[in-house]
Amino acid sequence: MPYILEAKALTKHYGTSIALESVDFQINDGITGLLGPNGAGKSTTIKLFLGLIRPTSGSAEVFSKRPYESVESRSLLGYMPEHNCLPSSVTAAEFLTHMAQVSGIPPAHARTRAADILRHVGLNEERYRSIGEYSTGMKQRVKLAQALVHDPLIVLLDEPTAGLDPGGREEMLALVKRTGREFGISILLSSHFMGDVESICDRIIVLEGGCITKDGDVSLFTQETKTLDIDVDDHIEELLAALSKRSIAAIMDGLSVVVETESEEQYDAIRDAIVESGARLRRLAPRRHKLNDIFRMAPNE
Amino acid sequence: MRARKAIWINGVRTSLGINRGWGPKTPPILLFIAVMAPAVVISIMAVAAGNLEGLPSHDTYYEIISTLLVIFSAIIAPELLCSDRRDGVINLYLVRPLSPTDYVIGRWLAFLSVTLALAYLGQIVLFTGFVLAAEEPANYLRDNWLNVPRFLLAGLVVAIFTTTIPLTVSAFTTRRAYAAAFVIGLFIISVPVAGILTLCEEGRQLPIEPCRPPTGESAKWFALISLPDVPIHVNDLIFPEENSSEFAQLVAKLPSIIPITWYLLLTIGPGFVLWRRYSSISI
Repeated sequence: MPYILEAKALTKHYGTSIALESVDFQINDGITGLLGPNGAGKSTTIKLFLGLIRPTSGSAEVFSKRPYESVESRSLLGYMPEHNCLPSSVTAAEFLTHMAQVSGIPPAHARTRAADILRHVGLNEERYRSIGEYSTGMKQRVKLAQALVHDPLIVLLDEPTAGLDPGGREEMLALVKRTGREFGISILLSSHFMGDVESICDRIIVLEGGCITKDGDVSLFTQETKTLDIDVDDHIEELLAALSKRSIAAIMDGLSVVVETESEEQYDAIRDAIVESGARLRRLAPRRHKLNDIFRMAPNE
Repeated sequence: MRARKAIWINGVRTSLGINRGWGPKTPPILLFIAVMAPAVVISIMAVAAGNLEGLPSHDTYYEIISTLLVIFSAIIAPELLCSDRRDGVINLYLVRPLSPTDYVIGRWLAFLSVTLALAYLGQIVLFTGFVLAAEEPANYLRDNWLNVPRFLLAGLVVAIFTTTIPLTVSAFTTRRAYAAAFVIGLFIISVPVAGILTLCEEGRQLPIEPCRPPTGESAKWFALISLPDVPIHVNDLIFPEENSSEFAQLVAKLPSIIPITWYLLLTIGPGFVLWRRYSSISI
Protein backbone atom coordinates (compact mmCIF):
# COMPACT_ATOMS: atom_id res chain seq x y z
CA MET A 1 0.00 0.00 0.00
CA PRO A 2 1.68 3.25 -1.09
CA TYR A 3 1.87 6.23 1.22
CA ILE A 4 -0.24 9.29 0.46
CA LEU A 5 2.84 11.48 0.66
CA GLU A 6 6.36 10.17 0.72
CA ALA A 7 9.62 12.11 0.75
CA LYS A 8 12.63 9.98 -0.18
CA ALA A 9 15.98 11.62 0.45
CA LEU A 10 14.28 14.80 -0.71
CA THR A 11 16.80 17.51 -1.42
CA LYS A 12 16.35 20.96 -2.87
CA HIS A 13 19.12 23.47 -3.40
CA TYR A 14 18.66 26.98 -4.76
CA GLY A 15 22.14 27.70 -6.08
CA THR A 16 24.39 27.47 -3.05
CA SER A 17 21.59 27.79 -0.52
CA ILE A 18 20.12 24.59 0.87
CA ALA A 19 16.34 24.58 1.26
CA LEU A 20 15.98 20.85 2.02
CA GLU A 21 18.69 18.28 2.67
CA SER A 22 17.94 14.57 2.32
CA VAL A 23 14.57 14.63 4.05
CA ASP A 24 12.67 11.36 4.55
CA PHE A 25 9.12 11.02 5.82
CA GLN A 26 5.85 9.36 5.00
CA ILE A 27 2.31 10.59 5.61
CA ASN A 28 -0.82 8.52 5.59
CA ASP A 29 -3.94 9.16 7.65
CA GLY A 30 -4.62 11.87 10.15
CA ILE A 31 -3.55 15.44 10.61
CA THR A 32 0.16 16.13 10.41
CA GLY A 33 1.71 19.42 11.44
CA LEU A 34 4.71 20.72 9.56
CA LEU A 35 6.45 23.07 11.93
CA GLY A 36 9.46 25.26 11.65
CA PRO A 37 10.71 28.81 11.64
CA ASN A 38 10.79 30.95 8.49
CA GLY A 39 13.28 29.53 6.01
CA ALA A 40 13.14 26.05 7.53
CA GLY A 41 11.95 24.49 4.27
CA LYS A 42 8.20 24.20 4.89
CA SER A 43 7.13 26.07 1.76
CA THR A 44 9.72 24.26 -0.36
CA THR A 45 8.38 20.92 0.89
CA ILE A 46 4.83 21.90 -0.03
CA LYS A 47 5.87 23.19 -3.45
CA LEU A 48 7.70 19.93 -4.14
CA PHE A 49 4.62 17.86 -3.31
CA LEU A 50 2.45 20.17 -5.41
CA GLY A 51 4.81 19.62 -8.34
CA LEU A 52 5.59 23.30 -8.72
CA ILE A 53 9.33 22.75 -8.46
CA ARG A 54 11.58 19.76 -9.07
CA PRO A 55 13.84 18.35 -6.38
CA THR A 56 17.61 18.60 -6.77
CA SER A 57 17.74 14.93 -5.80
CA GLY A 58 15.49 12.38 -4.15
CA SER A 59 11.75 12.41 -4.74
CA ALA A 60 8.46 13.78 -3.46
CA GLU A 61 5.69 11.30 -4.25
CA VAL A 62 1.94 11.52 -4.00
CA PHE A 63 0.50 8.03 -3.96
CA SER A 64 3.71 6.81 -5.63
CA LYS A 65 3.37 9.43 -8.39
CA ARG A 66 5.66 12.38 -8.85
CA PRO A 67 3.53 15.49 -9.35
CA TYR A 68 6.33 17.39 -11.08
CA GLU A 69 6.37 14.69 -13.75
CA SER A 70 2.61 14.34 -14.20
CA VAL A 71 0.17 17.16 -13.46
CA GLU A 72 -2.66 14.61 -13.38
CA SER A 73 -1.56 13.45 -9.93
CA ARG A 74 -2.40 16.91 -8.59
CA SER A 75 -6.08 15.92 -8.63
CA LEU A 76 -5.22 13.82 -5.54
CA LEU A 77 -4.15 16.97 -3.69
CA GLY A 78 -5.89 20.00 -2.30
CA TYR A 79 -3.99 23.17 -1.47
CA MET A 80 -4.91 26.15 0.65
CA PRO A 81 -2.33 28.91 0.23
CA GLU A 82 -1.49 31.34 2.98
CA HIS A 83 -1.95 34.48 0.90
CA ASN A 84 -5.03 35.82 -0.82
CA CYS A 85 -6.06 33.75 -3.80
CA LEU A 86 -9.72 34.60 -4.26
CA PRO A 87 -11.41 36.69 -6.94
CA SER A 88 -13.55 39.46 -5.50
CA SER A 89 -16.23 39.86 -8.14
CA VAL A 90 -17.69 36.34 -8.23
CA THR A 91 -19.85 34.44 -5.76
CA ALA A 92 -18.41 31.65 -3.65
CA ALA A 93 -20.79 29.17 -5.30
CA GLU A 94 -19.64 30.09 -8.79
CA PHE A 95 -15.97 30.14 -7.84
CA LEU A 96 -16.11 26.73 -6.21
CA THR A 97 -18.05 25.23 -9.10
CA HIS A 98 -15.40 26.52 -11.47
CA MET A 99 -12.56 25.20 -9.31
CA ALA A 100 -14.24 21.79 -9.15
CA GLN A 101 -14.44 21.73 -12.94
CA VAL A 102 -10.81 22.77 -13.28
CA SER A 103 -10.02 19.80 -11.03
CA GLY A 104 -11.74 17.51 -13.50
CA ILE A 105 -15.23 17.14 -12.01
CA PRO A 106 -18.10 17.13 -14.59
CA PRO A 107 -20.13 20.41 -14.60
CA ALA A 108 -23.38 18.94 -13.22
CA HIS A 109 -21.60 17.22 -10.35
CA ALA A 110 -19.38 20.23 -9.70
CA ARG A 111 -22.34 22.46 -8.77
CA THR A 112 -23.65 19.92 -6.22
CA ARG A 113 -20.21 19.33 -4.84
CA ALA A 114 -19.61 23.08 -4.42
CA ALA A 115 -22.88 23.46 -2.51
CA ASP A 116 -22.02 20.52 -0.23
CA ILE A 117 -18.58 21.87 0.60
CA LEU A 118 -19.83 25.39 1.23
CA ARG A 119 -22.35 23.92 3.64
CA HIS A 120 -19.54 21.98 5.34
CA VAL A 121 -17.49 25.14 5.89
CA GLY A 122 -20.51 27.05 7.14
CA LEU A 123 -21.12 29.32 4.16
CA ASN A 124 -24.38 27.86 2.93
CA GLU A 125 -26.38 31.05 3.49
CA GLU A 126 -23.77 33.38 2.03
CA ARG A 127 -22.79 31.34 -1.01
CA TYR A 128 -24.47 33.69 -3.51
CA ARG A 129 -22.70 36.78 -2.20
CA SER A 130 -19.61 38.15 -3.93
CA ILE A 131 -16.42 37.00 -2.24
CA GLY A 132 -15.27 40.62 -2.10
CA GLU A 133 -17.98 41.27 0.51
CA TYR A 134 -16.75 38.48 2.82
CA SER A 135 -14.90 38.92 6.10
CA THR A 136 -11.36 37.54 6.52
CA GLY A 137 -12.71 34.48 8.34
CA MET A 138 -15.21 33.77 5.59
CA LYS A 139 -12.52 34.13 2.94
CA GLN A 140 -10.37 31.60 4.82
CA ARG A 141 -13.31 29.23 4.73
CA VAL A 142 -13.68 29.68 0.97
CA LYS A 143 -9.95 28.97 0.62
CA LEU A 144 -10.39 25.76 2.58
CA ALA A 145 -13.50 24.88 0.58
CA GLN A 146 -11.72 25.21 -2.76
CA ALA A 147 -9.01 22.87 -1.48
CA LEU A 148 -11.64 20.25 -0.63
CA VAL A 149 -14.09 20.66 -3.50
CA HIS A 150 -12.61 17.92 -5.69
CA ASP A 151 -12.47 15.38 -2.87
CA PRO A 152 -8.67 15.05 -2.63
CA LEU A 153 -6.82 12.34 -0.72
CA ILE A 154 -4.82 14.93 1.17
CA VAL A 155 -4.97 18.68 1.64
CA LEU A 156 -1.95 20.86 2.22
CA LEU A 157 -2.85 23.84 4.39
CA ASP A 158 -0.38 26.69 4.50
CA GLU A 159 -0.92 28.76 7.66
CA PRO A 160 -4.71 28.30 7.68
CA THR A 161 -5.23 30.60 10.67
CA ALA A 162 -3.08 33.48 9.43
CA GLY A 163 -4.79 36.84 9.87
CA LEU A 164 -7.65 35.52 11.99
CA ASP A 165 -8.69 36.82 15.42
CA PRO A 166 -8.67 34.32 18.32
CA GLY A 167 -12.33 33.42 17.78
CA GLY A 168 -11.80 32.94 14.07
CA ARG A 169 -8.72 30.82 14.76
CA GLU A 170 -10.68 28.51 17.04
CA GLU A 171 -13.42 28.12 14.43
CA MET A 172 -10.96 27.45 11.62
CA LEU A 173 -9.06 24.86 13.66
CA ALA A 174 -12.31 23.14 14.61
CA LEU A 175 -13.25 23.08 10.93
CA VAL A 176 -9.92 21.61 9.90
CA LYS A 177 -10.20 18.98 12.62
CA ARG A 178 -13.75 18.13 11.55
CA THR A 179 -12.63 17.90 7.93
CA GLY A 180 -9.95 15.41 8.88
CA ARG A 181 -12.24 13.33 11.04
CA GLU A 182 -15.53 13.42 9.10
CA PHE A 183 -14.27 13.35 5.53
CA GLY A 184 -11.33 11.08 6.26
CA ILE A 185 -9.10 13.41 4.28
CA SER A 186 -5.47 13.46 5.37
CA ILE A 187 -4.14 16.88 6.20
CA LEU A 188 -0.66 18.35 6.16
CA LEU A 189 -0.75 21.63 8.04
CA SER A 190 2.14 24.03 7.81
CA SER A 191 2.22 26.51 10.64
CA HIS A 192 4.44 28.41 12.98
CA PHE A 193 1.67 28.60 15.62
CA MET A 194 2.49 25.85 18.13
CA GLY A 195 -0.98 26.15 19.62
CA ASP A 196 -2.65 25.37 16.31
CA VAL A 197 -0.56 22.27 15.80
CA GLU A 198 -0.93 21.10 19.39
CA SER A 199 -4.69 21.41 19.38
CA ILE A 200 -5.52 19.52 16.17
CA CYS A 201 -2.56 17.50 14.92
CA ASP A 202 -1.94 13.81 15.50
CA ARG A 203 1.68 14.04 14.45
CA ILE A 204 4.29 16.71 13.96
CA ILE A 205 7.29 17.02 11.73
CA VAL A 206 9.72 19.76 12.66
CA LEU A 207 11.96 21.25 10.00
CA GLU A 208 14.93 23.38 10.84
CA GLY A 209 17.56 24.48 8.34
CA GLY A 210 16.19 22.12 5.72
CA CYS A 211 16.44 19.02 7.93
CA ILE A 212 13.93 17.14 10.03
CA THR A 213 14.82 17.67 13.66
CA LYS A 214 11.78 16.02 15.23
CA ASP A 215 9.11 13.68 13.97
CA GLY A 216 6.48 11.84 15.97
CA ASP A 217 3.02 11.78 17.52
CA VAL A 218 2.01 14.96 19.30
CA SER A 219 1.46 12.94 22.48
CA LEU A 220 5.19 12.11 22.51
CA PHE A 221 6.00 15.78 22.68
CA THR A 222 3.41 16.61 25.31
CA GLN A 223 4.26 13.90 27.87
CA GLU A 224 3.63 14.39 31.57
CA THR A 225 6.30 16.22 33.54
CA LYS A 226 7.29 15.82 37.18
CA THR A 227 5.58 19.10 38.00
CA LEU A 228 2.28 18.72 39.82
CA ASP A 229 -0.44 21.40 39.63
CA ILE A 230 -2.73 21.59 42.68
CA ASP A 231 -5.73 23.88 42.09
CA VAL A 232 -7.67 24.74 45.24
CA ASP A 233 -10.51 27.17 45.96
CA ASP A 234 -9.28 28.35 49.42
CA HIS A 235 -6.81 27.76 52.29
CA ILE A 236 -3.76 28.14 50.04
CA GLU A 237 -1.55 29.39 52.89
CA GLU A 238 -2.53 26.40 55.07
CA LEU A 239 -1.79 24.04 52.21
CA LEU A 240 1.68 25.52 51.68
CA ALA A 241 2.35 25.13 55.43
CA ALA A 242 1.15 21.51 55.44
CA LEU A 243 3.37 20.70 52.48
CA SER A 244 6.34 22.41 54.09
CA LYS A 245 5.78 20.39 57.29
CA ARG A 246 6.20 17.26 55.13
CA SER A 247 9.40 18.63 53.53
CA ILE A 248 7.74 19.13 50.17
CA ALA A 249 8.91 22.26 48.35
CA ALA A 250 5.96 24.14 46.81
CA ILE A 251 5.40 27.53 45.25
CA MET A 252 2.27 29.56 44.52
CA ASP A 253 1.34 30.21 40.90
CA GLY A 254 -1.86 32.27 40.90
CA LEU A 255 -4.56 30.10 42.44
CA SER A 256 -2.45 26.97 41.96
CA VAL A 257 0.21 25.40 44.08
CA VAL A 258 3.03 23.94 42.05
CA VAL A 259 5.08 21.05 43.39
CA GLU A 260 8.15 19.48 41.82
CA THR A 261 7.70 15.80 42.69
CA GLU A 262 10.64 13.49 43.09
CA SER A 263 8.78 10.19 43.32
CA GLU A 264 5.24 8.84 43.25
CA GLU A 265 5.48 8.16 47.01
CA GLN A 266 5.18 11.90 47.56
CA TYR A 267 1.59 11.79 46.20
CA ASP A 268 0.36 10.23 49.49
CA ALA A 269 2.02 12.98 51.50
CA ILE A 270 0.51 15.65 49.23
CA ARG A 271 -2.94 14.09 49.65
CA ASP A 272 -2.50 14.17 53.45
CA ALA A 273 -1.37 17.79 53.32
CA ILE A 274 -4.50 18.79 51.36
CA VAL A 275 -6.74 17.03 53.88
CA GLU A 276 -4.92 18.61 56.80
CA SER A 277 -5.14 22.13 55.31
CA GLY A 278 -8.89 21.85 54.81
CA ALA A 279 -8.54 23.29 51.24
CA ARG A 280 -11.25 22.48 48.71
CA LEU A 281 -9.50 20.67 45.87
CA ARG A 282 -10.50 21.46 42.30
CA ARG A 283 -7.77 19.73 40.31
CA LEU A 284 -4.66 17.71 40.98
CA ALA A 285 -2.75 16.75 37.86
CA PRO A 286 0.79 16.41 36.53
CA ARG A 287 1.70 19.23 34.15
CA ARG A 288 2.28 18.30 30.47
CA HIS A 289 4.97 19.61 28.21
CA LYS A 290 3.73 22.29 25.82
CA LEU A 291 5.07 22.28 22.28
CA ASN A 292 6.33 25.78 22.91
CA ASP A 293 8.53 24.40 25.71
CA ILE A 294 9.86 21.66 23.45
CA PHE A 295 10.95 24.12 20.79
CA ARG A 296 12.78 26.26 23.28
CA MET A 297 15.09 23.26 23.74
CA ALA A 298 17.91 22.49 21.38
CA PRO A 299 17.13 20.25 18.39
CA ASN A 300 16.80 16.55 19.21
CA GLU A 301 17.21 17.31 22.87
CA MET B 1 -9.46 17.86 -20.88
CA ARG B 2 -12.20 18.96 -18.47
CA ALA B 3 -9.79 21.33 -16.77
CA ARG B 4 -8.86 22.99 -20.06
CA LYS B 5 -12.50 23.24 -21.08
CA ALA B 6 -13.33 24.83 -17.72
CA ILE B 7 -10.61 27.45 -18.22
CA TRP B 8 -11.95 28.20 -21.71
CA ILE B 9 -15.59 28.50 -20.59
CA ASN B 10 -14.63 30.63 -17.61
CA GLY B 11 -12.57 32.87 -19.90
CA VAL B 12 -15.52 33.45 -22.24
CA ARG B 13 -17.82 34.23 -19.31
CA THR B 14 -15.27 36.59 -17.77
CA SER B 15 -14.76 38.40 -21.09
CA LEU B 16 -18.47 39.01 -21.46
CA GLY B 17 -19.15 39.70 -17.78
CA ILE B 18 -21.60 36.80 -17.56
CA ASN B 19 -22.77 36.16 -13.97
CA ARG B 20 -21.01 39.32 -12.82
CA GLY B 21 -22.38 42.61 -11.59
CA TRP B 22 -23.13 45.52 -13.90
CA GLY B 23 -19.61 46.88 -13.44
CA PRO B 24 -17.80 44.08 -15.31
CA LYS B 25 -20.77 43.58 -17.64
CA THR B 26 -21.10 47.14 -18.96
CA PRO B 27 -17.81 47.55 -20.94
CA PRO B 28 -18.29 44.39 -23.04
CA ILE B 29 -21.94 45.28 -23.73
CA LEU B 30 -21.08 48.83 -24.84
CA LEU B 31 -18.14 47.71 -26.92
CA PHE B 32 -20.20 44.90 -28.43
CA ILE B 33 -22.84 47.43 -29.48
CA ALA B 34 -20.15 49.70 -30.91
CA VAL B 35 -18.57 46.90 -32.92
CA MET B 36 -21.91 45.63 -34.22
CA ALA B 37 -23.30 49.06 -35.04
CA PRO B 38 -21.58 49.50 -38.45
CA ALA B 39 -22.93 46.16 -39.70
CA VAL B 40 -26.44 46.95 -38.49
CA VAL B 41 -26.39 50.47 -39.96
CA ILE B 42 -25.03 49.29 -43.33
CA SER B 43 -27.61 46.48 -43.46
CA ILE B 44 -30.48 48.87 -42.66
CA MET B 45 -29.24 51.31 -45.29
CA ALA B 46 -29.02 48.49 -47.83
CA VAL B 47 -32.53 47.23 -47.07
CA ALA B 48 -33.96 50.76 -47.02
CA ALA B 49 -32.28 51.78 -50.28
CA GLY B 50 -33.05 48.46 -51.95
CA ASN B 51 -29.60 48.29 -53.55
CA LEU B 52 -26.00 47.85 -52.50
CA GLU B 53 -24.44 50.54 -54.66
CA GLY B 54 -21.82 52.60 -52.85
CA LEU B 55 -22.14 50.73 -49.57
CA PRO B 56 -19.20 49.15 -47.77
CA SER B 57 -19.19 45.40 -48.19
CA HIS B 58 -17.58 42.30 -46.67
CA ASP B 59 -14.14 43.21 -47.99
CA THR B 60 -14.03 46.56 -46.17
CA TYR B 61 -16.02 45.60 -43.07
CA TYR B 62 -13.00 44.49 -41.01
CA GLU B 63 -11.19 47.68 -41.95
CA ILE B 64 -14.15 49.67 -40.58
CA ILE B 65 -14.29 47.79 -37.28
CA SER B 66 -10.58 47.05 -36.78
CA THR B 67 -10.01 50.05 -34.51
CA LEU B 68 -13.14 49.22 -32.49
CA LEU B 69 -12.01 45.61 -32.21
CA VAL B 70 -8.61 46.73 -30.96
CA ILE B 71 -10.26 48.95 -28.32
CA PHE B 72 -12.55 46.07 -27.33
CA SER B 73 -9.59 43.69 -27.00
CA ALA B 74 -7.41 46.22 -25.20
CA ILE B 75 -10.07 46.82 -22.56
CA ILE B 76 -11.47 43.30 -22.13
CA ALA B 77 -8.44 41.00 -22.65
CA PRO B 78 -6.54 42.17 -19.52
CA GLU B 79 -9.48 41.00 -17.39
CA LEU B 80 -8.57 37.43 -18.34
CA LEU B 81 -4.95 37.45 -17.21
CA CYS B 82 -4.31 40.49 -14.99
CA SER B 83 -7.08 39.70 -12.49
CA ASP B 84 -5.95 36.10 -11.97
CA ARG B 85 -2.45 37.25 -11.11
CA ARG B 86 -3.51 40.28 -9.07
CA ASP B 87 -6.01 38.28 -6.98
CA GLY B 88 -3.67 35.27 -6.69
CA VAL B 89 -6.16 32.89 -8.35
CA ILE B 90 -3.33 31.78 -10.63
CA ASN B 91 -1.84 30.05 -7.53
CA LEU B 92 -4.91 27.84 -7.37
CA TYR B 93 -4.90 27.02 -11.07
CA LEU B 94 -1.27 25.97 -11.07
CA VAL B 95 -1.77 23.39 -8.30
CA ARG B 96 -4.57 21.68 -10.19
CA PRO B 97 -4.18 19.11 -12.97
CA LEU B 98 -3.33 21.87 -15.38
CA SER B 99 0.00 23.07 -16.73
CA PRO B 100 0.74 26.79 -17.19
CA THR B 101 0.62 26.13 -20.94
CA ASP B 102 -2.87 24.62 -20.62
CA TYR B 103 -3.94 27.68 -18.67
CA VAL B 104 -2.62 30.27 -21.08
CA ILE B 105 -3.89 28.40 -24.15
CA GLY B 106 -7.32 28.11 -22.50
CA ARG B 107 -7.40 31.84 -21.86
CA TRP B 108 -6.16 32.64 -25.37
CA LEU B 109 -8.79 30.38 -26.96
CA ALA B 110 -11.48 31.91 -24.76
CA PHE B 111 -10.71 35.42 -25.89
CA LEU B 112 -10.23 34.31 -29.48
CA SER B 113 -13.75 32.81 -29.34
CA VAL B 114 -15.15 36.14 -28.22
CA THR B 115 -13.35 38.26 -30.82
CA LEU B 116 -14.13 35.70 -33.51
CA ALA B 117 -17.82 35.73 -32.61
CA LEU B 118 -17.78 39.51 -32.70
CA ALA B 119 -16.08 39.60 -36.10
CA TYR B 120 -18.34 36.94 -37.61
CA LEU B 121 -21.58 38.28 -36.16
CA GLY B 122 -21.10 41.61 -37.91
CA GLN B 123 -20.37 39.91 -41.22
CA ILE B 124 -23.36 37.61 -40.80
CA VAL B 125 -25.62 40.62 -40.11
CA LEU B 126 -24.14 42.31 -43.17
CA PHE B 127 -24.62 39.25 -45.36
CA THR B 128 -28.21 38.83 -44.16
CA GLY B 129 -28.88 42.52 -44.83
CA PHE B 130 -27.46 42.28 -48.36
CA VAL B 131 -29.51 39.16 -49.12
CA LEU B 132 -32.67 40.91 -47.95
CA ALA B 133 -31.78 44.06 -49.88
CA ALA B 134 -31.11 42.21 -53.13
CA GLU B 135 -33.82 42.22 -55.83
CA GLU B 136 -33.28 38.50 -56.28
CA PRO B 137 -31.96 37.03 -53.00
CA ALA B 138 -31.34 33.65 -54.58
CA ASN B 139 -29.24 35.24 -57.32
CA TYR B 140 -27.32 37.25 -54.74
CA LEU B 141 -26.58 34.08 -52.80
CA ARG B 142 -25.45 32.27 -55.96
CA ASP B 143 -23.22 35.13 -57.06
CA ASN B 144 -21.74 36.00 -53.68
CA TRP B 145 -21.55 32.76 -51.70
CA LEU B 146 -17.76 32.85 -51.92
CA ASN B 147 -17.78 35.87 -49.65
CA VAL B 148 -18.74 33.59 -46.76
CA PRO B 149 -15.54 31.51 -46.65
CA ARG B 150 -13.60 34.71 -47.37
CA PHE B 151 -15.01 36.61 -44.43
CA LEU B 152 -14.64 33.52 -42.23
CA LEU B 153 -10.94 33.29 -43.07
CA ALA B 154 -10.36 37.05 -42.86
CA GLY B 155 -12.26 37.17 -39.55
CA LEU B 156 -9.97 34.50 -38.15
CA VAL B 157 -6.93 36.52 -39.25
CA VAL B 158 -8.26 39.69 -37.57
CA ALA B 159 -9.37 37.87 -34.41
CA ILE B 160 -6.05 36.07 -33.85
CA PHE B 161 -4.19 39.36 -34.20
CA THR B 162 -6.46 41.35 -31.88
CA THR B 163 -6.40 38.52 -29.33
CA THR B 164 -2.70 37.80 -29.13
CA ILE B 165 -1.13 41.24 -28.72
CA PRO B 166 -3.44 42.50 -25.91
CA LEU B 167 -3.09 39.20 -24.02
CA THR B 168 0.69 39.32 -24.34
CA VAL B 169 0.79 42.86 -22.97
CA SER B 170 -1.54 41.76 -20.14
CA ALA B 171 0.93 39.05 -19.17
CA PHE B 172 3.37 41.71 -17.98
CA THR B 173 1.22 43.66 -15.55
CA THR B 174 -1.40 42.99 -12.93
CA ARG B 175 -3.07 46.34 -13.64
CA ARG B 176 -5.75 46.13 -16.31
CA ALA B 177 -5.69 49.88 -16.93
CA TYR B 178 -1.96 49.84 -17.70
CA ALA B 179 -2.35 46.99 -20.18
CA ALA B 180 -5.34 48.63 -21.89
CA ALA B 181 -3.62 52.02 -22.12
CA PHE B 182 -0.43 50.46 -23.48
CA VAL B 183 -2.23 48.49 -26.20
CA ILE B 184 -4.44 51.39 -27.28
CA GLY B 185 -1.45 53.73 -27.21
CA LEU B 186 0.67 51.32 -29.25
CA PHE B 187 -1.99 50.90 -31.93
CA ILE B 188 -2.94 54.58 -32.04
CA ILE B 189 0.64 55.84 -32.21
CA SER B 190 1.59 53.36 -34.94
CA VAL B 191 -0.91 54.92 -37.37
CA PRO B 192 0.44 58.52 -37.44
CA VAL B 193 4.02 57.19 -37.28
CA ALA B 194 3.36 55.15 -40.41
CA GLY B 195 1.56 58.13 -41.91
CA ILE B 196 4.44 60.54 -41.33
CA LEU B 197 7.00 58.08 -42.65
CA THR B 198 5.01 57.24 -45.77
CA LEU B 199 4.65 60.94 -46.55
CA CYS B 200 8.33 60.82 -47.44
CA GLU B 201 7.52 58.70 -50.47
CA GLU B 202 9.51 59.72 -53.50
CA GLY B 203 7.89 62.38 -55.57
CA ARG B 204 5.56 63.69 -52.86
CA GLN B 205 5.77 67.13 -51.41
CA LEU B 206 5.78 67.56 -47.68
CA PRO B 207 4.64 70.74 -46.00
CA ILE B 208 7.71 70.56 -43.80
CA GLU B 209 11.27 70.76 -45.02
CA PRO B 210 13.56 69.01 -45.29
CA CYS B 211 12.11 65.57 -45.85
CA ARG B 212 14.76 63.16 -46.96
CA PRO B 213 13.34 59.72 -47.51
CA PRO B 214 15.87 56.95 -46.77
CA THR B 215 15.03 55.51 -50.18
CA GLY B 216 12.31 56.26 -52.62
CA GLU B 217 10.94 52.78 -52.18
CA SER B 218 10.72 52.88 -48.43
CA ALA B 219 7.17 54.20 -48.10
CA LYS B 220 5.55 50.88 -48.92
CA TRP B 221 7.57 49.27 -46.16
CA PHE B 222 6.79 52.01 -43.67
CA ALA B 223 3.09 51.47 -44.35
CA LEU B 224 3.46 48.14 -42.55
CA ILE B 225 4.10 49.98 -39.28
CA SER B 226 0.42 50.87 -38.85
CA LEU B 227 -0.62 48.08 -36.48
CA PRO B 228 -4.41 48.19 -36.94
CA ASP B 229 -3.80 47.70 -40.68
CA VAL B 230 -1.59 44.61 -40.35
CA PRO B 231 -4.46 42.07 -40.49
CA ILE B 232 -6.26 44.27 -43.03
CA HIS B 233 -3.40 43.82 -45.50
CA VAL B 234 -3.95 40.05 -45.24
CA ASN B 235 -7.71 40.67 -45.54
CA ASP B 236 -7.00 42.53 -48.80
CA LEU B 237 -5.27 39.44 -50.15
CA ILE B 238 -8.27 37.26 -49.28
CA PHE B 239 -10.87 39.48 -50.97
CA PRO B 240 -10.44 40.19 -54.69
CA GLU B 241 -11.70 43.79 -54.44
CA GLU B 242 -9.06 46.52 -54.37
CA ASN B 243 -8.63 48.46 -51.15
CA SER B 244 -8.35 52.17 -51.92
CA SER B 245 -6.85 53.27 -48.57
CA GLU B 246 -3.42 54.86 -48.72
CA PHE B 247 -1.62 52.24 -46.62
CA ALA B 248 -3.30 49.40 -48.52
CA GLN B 249 -2.24 50.93 -51.85
CA LEU B 250 1.35 51.17 -50.68
CA VAL B 251 1.50 47.65 -49.22
CA ALA B 252 -0.09 46.29 -52.43
CA LYS B 253 3.17 47.19 -54.16
CA LEU B 254 4.99 44.65 -52.00
CA PRO B 255 5.04 40.92 -52.80
CA SER B 256 2.07 39.18 -51.12
CA ILE B 257 4.39 37.16 -48.91
CA ILE B 258 5.58 40.32 -47.13
CA PRO B 259 2.30 41.37 -45.43
CA ILE B 260 1.61 37.71 -44.65
CA THR B 261 5.04 37.24 -43.08
CA TRP B 262 4.72 40.53 -41.20
CA TYR B 263 1.32 39.41 -39.88
CA LEU B 264 2.71 36.03 -38.81
CA LEU B 265 5.68 37.69 -37.11
CA LEU B 266 3.42 40.03 -35.16
CA THR B 267 1.17 37.16 -34.15
CA ILE B 268 3.51 34.24 -33.54
CA GLY B 269 6.13 36.47 -31.88
CA PRO B 270 3.85 37.88 -29.16
CA GLY B 271 2.19 34.45 -28.88
CA PHE B 272 5.56 32.89 -28.12
CA VAL B 273 6.37 35.61 -25.60
CA LEU B 274 3.00 35.01 -23.93
CA TRP B 275 3.64 31.27 -23.72
CA ARG B 276 7.18 31.76 -22.40
CA ARG B 277 5.96 34.23 -19.79
CA TYR B 278 3.51 31.69 -18.40
CA SER B 279 5.56 28.55 -18.85
CA SER B 280 8.16 30.01 -16.50
CA ILE B 281 5.69 31.39 -13.97
CA SER B 282 6.16 30.37 -10.34
CA ILE B 283 4.06 30.84 -7.21
